[in-house]
Amino acid sequence: MLLLFFLMAFHLPLFFSATIRPKDEVQQKQLCAFGEYVAEILPKYIQQVQVTCFNELEILIHPDGIIPVLTFLRDHTNAQFKSLADLTAVDVPTRQNRFEIVYNLLSLHFNSRIRVKTYTDELTPLDSAVPVYQAANWYEREVWDMFGVFFANHPDLRRILTDYGFEGHPFRKDFPLSGFVEVRYDDEVKRIVAEPLELSQEFRKFDLNSPWETFPAHREAPEPLTIEAGDKKGDVK
Amino acid sequence: MDSVAPAVGAAVKPIFSRDLGEARRRVRELYRAWYREVPNTVHLFQLDITVKQGRDKVREMFMKNAHVTDPRVIDLLVIKGKIELQETINVWKQRTHVMRYFHETETPRPTDFLSKFYAGNDP
Amino acid sequence: VALPLSLSTGLTCMLVCRHHLRILYTKIIAVLQNFPKDAAYRKYTEAIINERFNMVKAEPDIEKLENKINSGQIEEVILQAENELNLARKMAQWKPWEPLIEEPPSDQWKWPV
Repeated sequence: MLLLFFLMAFHLPLFFSATIRPKDEVQQKQLCAFGEYVAEILPKYIQQVQVTCFNELEILIHPDGIIPVLTFLRDHTNAQFKSLADLTAVDVPTRQNRFEIVYNLLSLHFNSRIRVKTYTDELTPLDSAVPVYQAANWYEREVWDMFGVFFANHPDLRRILTDYGFEGHPFRKDFPLSGFVEVRYDDEVKRIVAEPLELSQEFRKFDLNSPWETFPAHREAPEPLTIEAGDKKGDVK
Repeated sequence: MDSVAPAVGAAVKPIFSRDLGEARRRVRELYRAWYREVPNTVHLFQLDITVKQGRDKVREMFMKNAHVTDPRVIDLLVIKGKIELQETINVWKQRTHVMRYFHETETPRPTDFLSKFYAGNDP
Repeated sequence: VALPLSLSTGLTCMLVCRHHLRILYTKIIAVLQNFPKDAAYRKYTEAIINERFNMVKAEPDIEKLENKINSGQIEEVILQAENELNLARKMAQWKPWEPLIEEPPSDQWKWPV
């Protein structure tokens, strides 16, 4: 019995290894070929093309090229990305252009997806994608509300998620987790009031380090251990 | 007044205004629109303030950003002001949202040493 | 008149669709003529359009034509041609075959930062 348990425990890693995602070489090659095809046709706008480890094709473009690239992907016979699945932004404050804007497209005709990325900063307006994809309307309102990226030529740019009178853009990395105001019902004035938040000093420490390793591949190599000759001698004795 | 070059130095994409004069014109237009809207707002929301108080508040809100000289920042502030105005005109806001500008219930922060000491536990 | 089978889409323009396609393809090729010879967009699109154009010319039966083109029903092929024509006209303004407008800042696409 004991031996059986031991064997099972010993074989556990084998079970786990079966769940590793198999590498799909064929699909990866197709995506690479299509990425090169798009990059060859639109060299004016495309800065970089990459395929991620999960077989997602990403096209990194200059912000001026949003309308041409999206229109090309929608209307070209070999692309036909008729559907805008998602539009969002990523905030990386250390960069010169801190916001990455991400467009996820879906081609029902060819059953494939593509991701288009571009960049901007707090003050540079981007062209709105609404003339190309109607679906972009509310997504862009969301990005405006959450990140404060302004979209030029948007038909109806206003808040979508935050309360009226809310100040700031909550998804920016420099927006505090607790916000700037706290809301309560005041019995004297008989309405909800918002008052500036007073945060005591010990709650202002933001420990952003995760206990897990997020990017193990990019970790700096630990310093090699050196054993001095003297220690070894001591051990022998 | 000369237009102030943005901090980046290189030519940047304008939001709406090409120079400071144009940006200031937009600010004046927005101020006028707010000024005209105040009596209407006081009536619609049945606020317990006079029109004069409301207009003073509008002026105060505009003067808070008087130091801004970058046309793009001004444009962005004007856009936000326009969105707020639209929310007020269409009564999407409620009374609480309008009255939030007046900070009625807040106790002023202690400034001098003794009142800070009385308040205790300075955060 | 015997109506073709692809009436399943509810569109009744089937009898003239070949004519329609011919006009569209001729227009696309005419627009592409104004692009520079070495532009990749012109090269690839001309190849697609010419291939389909030849099929449309050669094959009188619509159902067989659909199978040959292998891009859905004939209405879809018409839509694709219309979209391609719109795109080609816009491409004439955008001139996407020109060199890159601007290189990204060096840290822009670096991840993790």
